[in-house]
Amino acid sequence: MEYMEQDKISELKKALNKLNAEYAKIRDIPSDKRGEFGRKLNQEKQNILDQIKASEDAKINQEVEPIDVTAFSANNEAMPEFYPADLGSKHPLMTELDQVIEIYQMMGFDVMESRQLDDEFHMFDSLNFVKEHPARDGYDTFRTEEGLIPPAHTSTMQHRVLKKYKHNLDEGKAISVVVPGRVFRNEDVDATHEHTFYQCEGVYVSKTCTMGDMLGILREFFEKYYGQKLNIRTQPGYFPFTEPSLEFMIEKPKTLGGKKGDYLEMLGCGMIHPNVLKMAGIDPTVYHGFAWGGGIDRLVMLKYGLGDVRFFESGNLNFLREF
Amino acid sequence: MKISLNWLKKYVNVTIPDNELIRLIGARLVEVEGVIDESHKYDNIYVVRVEKAEKIPDTHLTLCQINVGKPELIEVVCGAPNVHEGMLAAWIAPGAIVPASVHQDAPFVIGQRKMLGKYISNGMLAGADELDFSDKHDKIVEIDPEMAKPGDLLADVFDLNDLILEIENKSLTHRPDTFGIIGFAREVAGILGEKFNEPEFLTHEEVFPEGFLIKTTSGLESKDSKIDVEIVDAEICPRYTAAVLKIDDAMSQEKYLSKMQVLLAKSGMMTVSRIVDITNYIMLLTGQPLHAFDYDKFLNLTGGKAKIIIRKAKAGEKIILLDDKEIECNENDILITANDIPVALAGAMGGKNTEIDATTKHVLLESASFSLYNLRKTQMAHGIFSEAITRFTKGVPAGGTFNVLAEAIKEMRGKPLVLADKYPGLKKVDVVKIQPEEINGLLGTNYAEKRIIDTLRNVSFEVEKNDNTLTVIAPFWRTDIHIKEDVIEEIGRLLGYDNIPLTLPMHATAEKNPMFELKRRIRDCMDKHGANELLTYSFVSENLLNKAGQDATNSYRIINSISPELQYVRQSIVPSLLDKTYLNEKLPVEQFAIYEINKVYRKEWGKNDEGVPEERMSMGLVVAERKNTGTAFYKAKLYVEAILEQFGINVEYVVPKCLQAEAKPFEPQRAADIVLDGEKIGIVGEFKNTVKNEFKLAPFVAGFELDLDRVLEKVNYSKKIDFEEKKTEDLTITTSKSYSDALKEVQTKYPEAKISPVYIYQAEDQKDRNITFRLETKCK
Repeated sequence: MEYMEQDKISELKKALNKLNAEYAKIRDIPSDKRGEFGRKLNQEKQNILDQIKASEDAKINQEVEPIDVTAFSANNEAMPEFYPADLGSKHPLMTELDQVIEIYQMMGFDVMESRQLDDEFHMFDSLNFVKEHPARDGYDTFRTEEGLIPPAHTSTMQHRVLKKYKHNLDEGKAISVVVPGRVFRNEDVDATHEHTFYQCEGVYVSKTCTMGDMLGILREFFEKYYGQKLNIRTQPGYFPFTEPSLEFMIEKPKTLGGKKGDYLEMLGCGMIHPNVLKMAGIDPTVYHGFAWGGGIDRLVMLKYGLGDVRFFESGNLNFLREF
Repeated sequence: MKISLNWLKKYVNVTIPDNELIRLIGARLVEVEGVIDESHKYDNIYVVRVEKAEKIPDTHLTLCQINVGKPELIEVVCGAPNVHEGMLAAWIAPGAIVPASVHQDAPFVIGQRKMLGKYISNGMLAGADELDFSDKHDKIVEIDPEMAKPGDLLADVFDLNDLILEIENKSLTHRPDTFGIIGFAREVAGILGEKFNEPEFLTHEEVFPEGFLIKTTSGLESKDSKIDVEIVDAEICPRYTAAVLKIDDAMSQEKYLSKMQVLLAKSGMMTVSRIVDITNYIMLLTGQPLHAFDYDKFLNLTGGKAKIIIRKAKAGEKIILLDDKEIECNENDILITANDIPVALAGAMGGKNTEIDATTKHVLLESASFSLYNLRKTQMAHGIFSEAITRFTKGVPAGGTFNVLAEAIKEMRGKPLVLADKYPGLKKVDVVKIQPEEINGLLGTNYAEKRIIDTLRNVSFEVEKNDNTLTVIAPFWRTDIHIKEDVIEEIGRLLGYDNIPLTLPMHATAEKNPMFELKRRIRDCMDKHGANELLTYSFVSENLLNKAGQDATNSYRIINSISPELQYVRQSIVPSLLDKTYLNEKLPVEQFAIYEINKVYRKEWGKNDEGVPEERMSMGLVVAERKNTGTAFYKAKLYVEAILEQFGINVEYVVPKCLQAEAKPFEPQRAADIVLDGEKIGIVGEFKNTVKNEFKLAPFVAGFELDLDRVLEKVNYSKKIDFEEKKTEDLTITTSKSYSDALKEVQTKYPEAKISPVYIYQAEDQKDRNITFRLETKCK
C-alpha cells in the first residue's frame, strides 16, 4: 500500500516537472492568448499539487499500525487509568446554570433548553416585533445564508414554550417553565462583552397571575440563590414582547460585598404581550402571563469577582482547573 | 440626551430633594446614565460693567476698569475686539476656575497676571467659549442691562447652578414625546402626582389671526399667498407644515447672551445663529425637530415657483449637505425638494444650496413628521447621528407639527407671510375601554378608581367613566398607546412598580428535564475522573473544519460573522477541543482530558417539523499527554466506558468507516464506532497523522464524540447492589482472536462469572496473544 502511494507521488512529480517545462512555451504564444494559456497551465499545476498533497496525506496516514479496538488495553501495556480526581473541574457557567435551574425547579418550573440556531419567526415575529422595527436592529443578530438566526436571547423559545405547555392551562394548571441556553450577539469582544453567552428565560401563564406575582417570584429566586433577604427595585424598560416591561434590580448581597443602596441590574421582565399569547393560540382575554430573561455569565463573574468575561470560552486549563 | 433639572423645574413643581427626584425618574421613566454636577461650575463669576476701556498702544489689548458692584474699580486686560465702555460683561474673578475647563484633568484657575511688564490684569472677561456656552472664540459675552447689574453672580442671573441628567436614549425608543423637556416634565409630574400645566400652545387651535388661514381639501393654507406642498407618499411623510417668515436684523442677530443659548449649551448643543438656535431650542422644548431653509435661495432653484415636493430619493441621486459632504441617496431615503430639486435629506440634514446665512432675508421653516423606519435606515446608510434624526427615529408624532411651528414663529418674533399644512397621514385615534379591576388584576394592586383616573388625566389622557368602564383616549403625542396593556403600564409605572405588593402564586411540581439530568450526571462522573469541562464557541473557521477533514458546505455559514474564525456553525465538538489541546499543551499542564457538551448542527440533517434545523446534543472529549508514548486509544475508551457503564449501557466497538462528519478527524485503523443495539452512537479513537500535524498535537492524543440524544434513549439509572462475598481467579488464554471474541469464548464457558480484562501479552516473534481475564464468582 505504502509503496503504491510512493509510486503515485513519483509519477505525479514527474508530471509536474513536465508541466513546469511547458511554461517556457509561453514566449511562442501570441500575446493576446498568453493569459488564457497561463491560466490553463496554472489550473493543471494546482490540480497536480492537490493530488500530490492527497497522496502524501494518505501516505502519512498509512504509517499507522492497526489496534484491537475491542480490547481495553494495548498489548504489553498496563490497563489505562483515570486521571486523579483532584485534576477534575466543571465549567463554572454550567455549574451555575445547574444551580439556577435547581432553584427554579424547587419553585415549580419545568426546564426546556434553548436552541442555538433558530429562525426569524421565533426570534422576532412570534415576539411581536413589527417588521422593520428598530428594535430588531437592537439585538445585533448573526444570520446564516439561509436567513437562520443564532438566537440573541432565550426569548426565542417563548412561542414554543407556550405551545408545548398550553395543555397545562386546559387542565387548570399554570404554565411555568424556565429556558436556559446559549445565545449570541454580533458585538466585539472585550473584558465585559462576549458574542457568546448564557441566559435563562422564565415564562409563567395562568388566569390569575399578576405583576406582583412576577416580582414575588423573582425576589424569591434571588433570595434562595444568595441565601439572604433582599430588597428589590425596578425600572421601566421596553421590550416588544412584554407590556408593561421592566428592568429588575436587587440590592447587592452581603456575600458580594454589597452596601446598602448598591443595586445590581439582574434581568429584564414584563407581562407577556397579548399578541404573543394570541400567536401561540392562548386567549389573552382569559389568560395572562409574565416572562423574564437574564444572563448567567454575570452571576458567575459577580460570584468569583472575575473581571474578564473572555476566560469562559478560552479553554484555558489554568483558569478552568480553579473550579 | 441631556436634561437640565433647572429647566425641568420650570414646568413641574418639585418638592422633594434632587437625589430622590433622580431616583424616581430612574425607577419610573428612564435609565439615568449619569448626573453632571454643575452646582459650582460658575462659582466666583460676576456680572460687571466696563467703566473705562483704553486701547494699549501697539497691541490688540484693552485696559479696562471694571465695576464689580463695589466702590473701587478693578483693572483687567482684555483681548476681545468687542469690549467697550458701558457694557455689562462676565468676569471670572481671580481664584475662580474657567468653566469650560472644569471637567478637564487640569482645570484652569484664573489668577492675577502682570502683562507687558506694567499692567496688572485681575481675572478675565469671559467669552462664551470660556463659559462653556459655545465653541467659537471671537468675543466676550455681553449681558443685557435689563437682566442684571454689576456684582450679580452670573449663576444667579442665568440659573446656572444645575444638575444635568444624562439619559440613556435607548430606554426611551418608544417614547418620542419625552425627547422634549415639556414631555419629560409631564412624565415627572405624573410620577410625583403633581398637577401638570399643559403649555397652551401645544393644544390650542387658533394660534394665528382670524382669517389668515383657510381650509382646503388637503389641509390648511394661508389665504393670500401660498406654497404648494405635495407629499408623494403619506407613509413616508404623514404630515408636512411649512411657513415663510421675513427676517429683519433684530431677528437675525442676538446682541446679548440669552437664556436660550445657555439652555442649548446645557442640553449639549452649541449656539450657531439666532434662527438656528431657535429651531434647536424649540426641538429641545417639544421634541419636534424643525428645519430652516433660505427661502430666496429656494425660489432661485425653482425659478420662482413656490412648490415643495416630499418624495423618496432615486437610487444614486446626489445632494450636498450642510456639512459640505455630498451623499449618494438610496431608494429608502426621503428628500425634501424645491419643485423636485433636492434641498434636504428629510429628517437628517439640510442641503447646502438653501443654507441660511447672514444675508438671509426670508426663512422657510419646516415642521414635519417622517417614517421612522425610513429614517432609521437613512441614519445607518449615511452615518448621520444629529439631535434631529435621533428624535425622528423614535417616531415624531404628526399631531404636533402645526402647533410647534406656530410657537417657533412666535419665538422668532415674526409673522408668517405664507403657511401651509398638509396632513395626509391623519389616523383614527385608538380608544381604549378598560375597567379598574383589569388594571388591578394584572398589576396585583388595589388602586382606587379615582386615583387611576387622576393619574391618567394628569398626563393629559382624556378619561370618561361609564358605569364601571373607563374610556381612555391618549393625547396625540402618545403614539404608543393602543391596547389595554398600554394603559395598565401607564398606571403601574406612574404610581410605581416598586409599590406593588409582592406575592407568590401557587405552583405545581416541576418535572425533571431528562437531558439536563443526563448532562449533570456525566459532568459529575467526568469530574470524579479528573477530566475538565470546557466551553468553546459554537462557530468555527473554515480552516478548522478543513484541518479536521470536515466539509464546510455541510455547515450553516454566518454571513455577518465577526471574523473568519467564527464563520461556520460547528458540526461536532472534537475539532474545537483539538484547537484547545494545542493551547493547553503550551501551558505547564502535563496531561489532561478535556470535554464539552453542546449542541451541533449539520445541513445534511435537514429540518425538523418546525422548519428549523435538526440539532443534536453532542459530547466531545480529548485526552492528551506531553510525555506518554503508550496507546492513547485505550485512555479515551476508558472515559467512554465510565459514562456508559453508569447508565447501564453496553456497547460494541466496531472498526469504523469514518464517513460521518464527527468521524472525519479519527484514524480508521486506531478508532472504533461505538455501536448500541446495532445503531452507531459515536466514535472513539486516535486521530489521523495529518490531523495531528495540522493541530500540532503531541503523539499521545485520542478522543471521542458521543451522541447524547441516543444515549438518553437507552439510559437506565437503576443500579444493582451486590455485596455478596466473591472469589476471584485469573485466567489466561492464548489466542489469535480479538479481545471481544476471546471474551465471548470465556463467557460461554463461565456463564455465572463477572469477567474483566487484566493484561494482554504478545511476545515479539509471536502472532498469538496471551489474554488474561479476571473471573469473579459467588462463593457457594
